[in-house]
Amino acid sequence: MSPHTAGTTAAPQAPSHPATVRTRDWMIVAAAAVLALIALYAVFVDNGNLVSATGGYLHEFSHDGRHLFGAPCH
Amino acid sequence: MTVSAETTPYPLLPLLGRGLAAGGLAGLASGLFSLLLAEPLMDRAIGLEEKRAAAASGGGHAHAAEAEELFTRGTQHLGLVVTAVVVGLALGVFFTLAYVLLYRAPRHGPASTWKRGTGLACAGFLALSLLPGLRYPANPPGVGDGGTVTERQGLWLAALVIGVLGLVLARHLYVRGERAGHGLPARQLTAAGVVVATLAALFLLPDNPDAVPVPAALLWDFRVLSLAAHVLLWTVLGTVFATLAARQARGEGVQRDPVR
Repeated sequence: MSPHTAGTTAAPQAPSHPATVRTRDWMIVAAAAVLALIALYAVFVDNGNLVSATGGYLHEFSHDGRHLFGAPCH
Repeated sequence: MTVSAETTPYPLLPLLGRGLAAGGLAGLASGLFSLLLAEPLMDRAIGLEEKRAAAASGGGHAHAAEAEELFTRGTQHLGLVVTAVVVGLALGVFFTLAYVLLYRAPRHGPASTWKRGTGLACAGFLALSLLPGLRYPANPPGVGDGGTVTERQGLWLAALVIGVLGLVLARHLYVRGERAGHGLPARQLTAAGVVVATLAALFLLPDNPDAVPVPAALLWDFRVLSLAAHVLLWTVLGTVFATLAARQARGEGVQRDPVR
C-alpha cells in the first residue's frame, strides 16, 4: 500500500484546483483504509475462505501473531 | 500557499505516509520483541499440546499436530513478525484517518501535535487492546477449538466495536463538558467513568466457551507478554507519529505556532 500512495504523491500533475486535490487525497486515504481492513481481516479473521487457493496457509502463517494479539484461533 | 493552507488544513498524503512509517516501525518493534520473548513460550505450549494429543489418541500419532504442519515452526516464527508489521501498517492507516477526522483544523503548534498523537494512541490502546483483552485475554497455542472459532470471532469483534464506541462516547462527553464550561475534574471523572462502564458492558458478552488446558504459570506469562506486545505497538505508533507530525507542522511553518 505504501508504494501506491508514494507514487501518487510524487505525481502532482499540474497545479490543480485545491478542491480537486483534496478529493483525490481523500480517495487515496479511503483506498488505503479499505486495503488496511482487508489486511486485518486476512491476518486475524480469515479461516481459509478469503482466497480459496490459499486454503489454510494464510491462517497458519499468521498463526502465532493471532495468538499473540489475542485474535481467536483454532 | 496561504490559500491552500486554509482549504487543506492537513496535507493528507504526507501525513498518511507518516502514519504508515510509524505503524510499520511499531509492528516491527512489537514483532521482534515477541519473537524474542513470546515465541519460546508458544513453542513450549505447542509441545505440551502435542503431548496431550498423543496421550488422547493412545500413544499413536498426534492428529492435531499433523493437521497443523503446513508450515514449520521456523516459518511461523517469521510469520509472527510479518503479521505484526502488517497489523502495524494497517493500524497506521486508521490512526492517521482518526487523527485527521478528529483534529481537522490545526489550531495549535507542534506541542499540541505531540499531545494529540500520544493521546490518540492511548485511546487506541484502551479501545482495541486493553478493554477487549481484559474480557477475552490472549491464549497460547493449544487453546482454541476449531469448532467454536466462528463464535469466538463474533464475540471478539463485538468486544472491539464496544471498546471503540466506549472511547468515542468518553471523548464526546469530555469535549461537550469543555464547551459547557465544566471543570477538569468533572470532565476527567466522566470520561473515566465511561471507560469503566465500557469494561462492565464487555462482561455482558458471553464467556469464551473453550477450555484452557495450559499450566497457569505459562498462561500468565503468555498473557503478560501479549499485553506487553500491545503496549509496545501503541507506544511506538503514537510517539513516532507524533514526532513526525510535529516535524511536518514545523517544516510547513504553521503560522499559528508562536511557541516553538
